[in-house]
Amino acid sequence: MSRKLAFAVLTGLMGAALLHIIIILALPNFTGRDAYTRVVAEGPEHSFHSLGDTPDAAGLSNLDPYIKVAVCHFDVTTQPIRLLAGFSPGFWSVAIYDSDSNEVFSMNDRTSVAGVLDVLAASPVQLSRIRKSVPPSLAQSIIVELKEPTGYAVLRAMAPQPSFEQAAREFLGDALCIPFEGY
Amino acid sequence: MFRVPLLIAVALAIAFGVGLASTISALNASVGFGAIRLGVWSSFPQAQTAAADPYAKSHRAKAGRLLYGSAEGLAFTASEDEEGRRLTGLCRYRLYGKTPAARLWTLYAADASGMPLPTPAELPSTFNSQSVLRARDGSFEISISTTAQPNNWLALPKASGFTLVLTLLDTPAAGSSGLIGLEMPKVEQIGCGNE
Repeated sequence: MSRKLAFAVLTGLMGAALLHIIIILALPNFTGRDAYTRVVAEGPEHSFHSLGDTPDAAGLSNLDPYIKVAVCHFDVTTQPIRLLAGFSPGFWSVAIYDSDSNEVFSMNDRTSVAGVLDVLAASPVQLSRIRKSVPPSLAQSIIVELKEPTGYAVLRAMAPQPSFEQAAREFLGDALCIPFEGY
Repeated sequence: MFRVPLLIAVALAIAFGVGLASTISALNASVGFGAIRLGVWSSFPQAQTAAADPYAKSHRAKAGRLLYGSAEGLAFTASEDEEGRRLTGLCRYRLYGKTPAARLWTLYAADASGMPLPTPAELPSTFNSQSVLRARDGSFEISISTTAQPNNWLALPKASGFTLVLTLLDTPAAGSSGLIGLEMPKVEQIGCGNE
């Protein structure tokens, strides 16, 4: 009896280890509140949505009191996506994630061209067509290759003093996340 | 006669009980094994990448936060003081020293879920690298307490547990190069209650 019980306990522990591994590996696909799902819940695609200081219905907020955040989700199946923004007096940064919330690309105002946000994100097939003849409008753009067609971009602007907040909000409000028409 | 069903029940109970409990504790206790620790501060420079381990991926999918890209910044959190005691608003703390090389940094106190503590707007509850008062050598010292302090005072709203979040923006620390030699500010308890 005791040997059988020990066998049952051992079987149980093996099952526990298996269950643990399965849950850990499967969880990212089933939480329903991962960053991509929340960004999608913010509103329609191909437009930057500025976040507030307190969590909204989708559960996203600025978090850091000095940093204002805007998010945009996109789908480049038919057309590449272009991220554009004007001038910001302070620090800004942008990061592009795929739909599994893995970072694809990130940069800040110092690593951009002339301090202006101008990024084109496209699928490998679209990129090979663009590279054959680069349109003049893309001469200054930073070009990012997306392995997966869907994803989201996070644009952050820093307001180190309250007087910078208006400029940061305008920077995020004016930022564009639009399909690239010249394709 | 119920011996076999009993053994199966034991096996199933252990499988589901231990399996679920270990999973929940693994997800709540850490956000993966890729943590770096500098003094009281911990950070996860790889958490947002495809190279993150399965625990970090599960954790970030469950938390649903917008993480910093590697060119954006790196967020450090501290929930204990230098002697390993949990940070609480019942005590007063001194945060002093220097930060690793970064263009800018921000500091705020957050609750257990990472949301900034709600502090009245007229109190100085947050600092950044441009607003902090510094010594001549560039170091700084910030007093953290619920009661007013001279110089840099980070006001806590109430006497409850909190964590400190120090975000380095545009920092080489977010790259893969060695973080071991980096110097982070120290968090020292200087007294509790009316002491």
